[in-house]
Amino acid sequence: MREAIEIALGGILQGSVFALVALGFALVYRVTGAINLAQGAFVVFGALTLYSFQQTFNFPLPLAFLASLGVSLIVGLILGAFVFQPALRKLPMGGMILLTGGLLTFFEGLMLIVWGSQPYQLQPWSGFAPVNIGGIHIPTQGFWDFGVTAIIIVVMWYILQKTTIGKALRACSENPAAAALMGIDVPRMTVLSFAVAAAIGCVSGMVIGPVVSLEFDGGGFFTTSGFISVAIGGFGSFVGALIGGLGLGTVEQLAAGYVSSLFSTTLALALLLIVLIWKPTGLLGSGTRRRIDVREASVHAFREAVRLSKRGAIIGGIVALVVIAILPFFLQTGGILSSIVITGILFFALLGLDILMGYGGQVNLGHAAFLALGAYSAAIMTTRYGQSPIVGILVGLAVSLTCAAILSSITVKLRGHYMALATLAFGLLVDSIAVGATNLSGGPSGIAGIPHFSLFGYTLDSQIANYYMIWGLVVIGVIVLANLVRSDFGRALRAMRVDPVAARALGINVPKYKLMAFLIAASFASVAGSLYAYYFQFISPEMVSTNRSFELVTMLVVGGEATLVGPVIGAVILTLLPTVFQPLANFKTLAEGVILVSALLYLPSGIFGGILAALQRKRIQPIETMPSAVESKPARETVAR
Amino acid sequence: MTVALQGRSLEKSFGGVHAIRDVSFTIEEGSLIGLIGPNGAGKSTLFNMFTNLYPPDKGTVEFFGINLAGKTEDEIARLGLIRTFQTARVFAEMTVLENVMIGAHLTVRSSPWAEAFWVPSVGREEVGIRKKAEALLELLGLSRFADESATNLPMGSQKLLELARAVMAGPRVLLLDEPAAGLNDAETAELARLITAIRHAGTTIVVVEHNMSLIMGIADYVLVLDAGRLIAEGPPKEIQANEKVIEAYVGRGLDAVLAEAH
Repeated sequence: MREAIEIALGGILQGSVFALVALGFALVYRVTGAINLAQGAFVVFGALTLYSFQQTFNFPLPLAFLASLGVSLIVGLILGAFVFQPALRKLPMGGMILLTGGLLTFFEGLMLIVWGSQPYQLQPWSGFAPVNIGGIHIPTQGFWDFGVTAIIIVVMWYILQKTTIGKALRACSENPAAAALMGIDVPRMTVLSFAVAAAIGCVSGMVIGPVVSLEFDGGGFFTTSGFISVAIGGFGSFVGALIGGLGLGTVEQLAAGYVSSLFSTTLALALLLIVLIWKPTGLLGSGTRRRIDVREASVHAFREAVRLSKRGAIIGGIVALVVIAILPFFLQTGGILSSIVITGILFFALLGLDILMGYGGQVNLGHAAFLALGAYSAAIMTTRYGQSPIVGILVGLAVSLTCAAILSSITVKLRGHYMALATLAFGLLVDSIAVGATNLSGGPSGIAGIPHFSLFGYTLDSQIANYYMIWGLVVIGVIVLANLVRSDFGRALRAMRVDPVAARALGINVPKYKLMAFLIAASFASVAGSLYAYYFQFISPEMVSTNRSFELVTMLVVGGEATLVGPVIGAVILTLLPTVFQPLANFKTLAEGVILVSALLYLPSGIFGGILAALQRKRIQPIETMPSAVESKPARETVAR
Repeated sequence: MTVALQGRSLEKSFGGVHAIRDVSFTIEEGSLIGLIGPNGAGKSTLFNMFTNLYPPDKGTVEFFGINLAGKTEDEIARLGLIRTFQTARVFAEMTVLENVMIGAHLTVRSSPWAEAFWVPSVGREEVGIRKKAEALLELLGLSRFADESATNLPMGSQKLLELARAVMAGPRVLLLDEPAAGLNDAETAELARLITAIRHAGTTIVVVEHNMSLIMGIADYVLVLDAGRLIAEGPPKEIQANEKVIEAYVGRGLDAVLAEAH
């Protein structure tokens, strides 16, 4: 019993951080309608800056605390003003999720460079000796933790309910357009909410820092936990965020203490899925309902419809085929050729992702999970059961398609951001199984000794053979998907993405098309995953983790969504460049974040889309007059005569 | 005569607002029906109830004898009931030609598998759809914008584009929500000709419209809504002479309104 209470107390401690992250989520969501995936990164950022102020600059705790708080507010204000607020005017909500995901990656990269990859633990604020109450040991930091959480919640409540700024913030949340007409500076409120949420995140990191150890990439965990809390409690409801956070922390710690930490992660994600299906608005409802029509309808700047002409496609295709065919003759076997093979494998996975995200408009933050399913199925089938590689690929396909069908049937009814976060949760679930289910997946060290791919007794054991097989598959994949995209299937997908209501009115079965797009994406990723495992003859969790998912999304956005072949540019940039410039490898994560955020802000159709649009602009003259207005002019003149 | 669309005692409220109260109607196959009424009369609400975009609180809508209750919008479209929207909803990021071609979605027989491997029948089907779409664009005078982004068209042309898209679906009943909004007089005349042509090709049409001269010129039966109630129905001539309709449109005179306001 004493043990149970101590574990539960630990859970509430953890949960109070989740609650504060959830509070940050709820604040930004209420004011802007966007979900800020970078929220969790501020927790780690706060803890690490506090550590540096204390250890490196020898600041006393109160001064270090204030310095960290100041830094986080400044960082929050800068990001809010120069990234978040401009993005909000340009991007649809799905794009905002990607953008804040990019910010999360940016923070991870930044912290990797500044603080390295080792975990940090802060000194407790008032000594190590725990307080003993009735035989139960409570770490003193726990009191700091509860106290600070309570203060933040009370202050937030007071500001929102009792002050003019609070009223302005609430007005923005209910109807930004009307708020703007009433003279409220909505952009300023947006920046303010973002910065305050950042500061809350940092403070929670500073108080929890002495209890748990934190490292550069811990932000994803807090983002997910905070999101699960807020989804359980109800979006935009502050009380809900609090209850959701504390509940989740307790349940997770108890599950981890009595079963296993793998079970605890699974349970948390399962809890999220159950709430999403059963009560998508959360247990406490969503508080005030946002008027989605006001903002979502007006901000969306659509991309131009740029199409490769038939002649252009044929010429481009022939050039690409020739390049693919002769490229190996100009390269020696080694690092660069190997990178090109990997680029091909990732591009194959990107083809599927483009159908789902680019054409179908469904944000998928867990695409690497299907790489993982393909890779691990291949590895397990060949090493444990002695099956041939092709059986590994087929088993992987079966597993991936099953998971995709289940996930799609759960998420099909959910609005945009829930879909994105359900895929993120799925990705993290697969991550945690790959790391935790040691008997099945080999744990963190992965599975070695996977055979090369072989078919009909011929084994692809050279780089050249792998190169031709994989790029051959890529060519086939491009042709098949290009056919799909240029026929009724592709039109239905695009129609569904830009306007589901109008698409339904034309008889397009939206859930069915969403499912098909998901299945296509999963199959391409799964096959790519299997080939990845065969090529490396080794697979470990980090090769197919959630970071990989973000990397794939970055490649897609940078290359150009809904262009099918554009993502190859993204794949080349993010795979080849780190190989060519080895010393820069440490900056890769940071660069990925920066590239994703800038592409979303400044290159809405990606590099490929941008090139196409530039080519097309030369050919087509802009419309100056209405067609029938031109035709009706002579008619009026006749009447006048 | 076959009944194409029938409404029975339809009711719809939004919060405390009774948008539609006890509306019943019968629309025969092959007819061209005008649905009119002053602003806020509930025309668009009734329209959205036909396709279950707003499911009725009470009452039923039947389409060729099939009860539409519980059917999704795409199922209703598949039965042959196709609608356009009050503010044109063309697909952004798709070209003008593609916007018309997607209208043919319900007529496509090829499976995605066949499309992926581009079997010969897919090519034939695509060419057929493209030719039909190009012919429609030609008819609407939009041919030279075929490869332009649909959202670059002016509003009036977008409405015409939406009409062409709906025609591509080969509907049994076509619901047009204010098709003349944003068109000038010449274009409206052109539109009237077009709607009549579609009707003569065998499609039943229901038009919601503010433009009285358009409705009175083309409709052979008119339904008049006011404050959620069906206040009159009949051929255009009768409706034009109906006192209730005149009162609903012109009001009780300025004096009466001002007297009430004080």
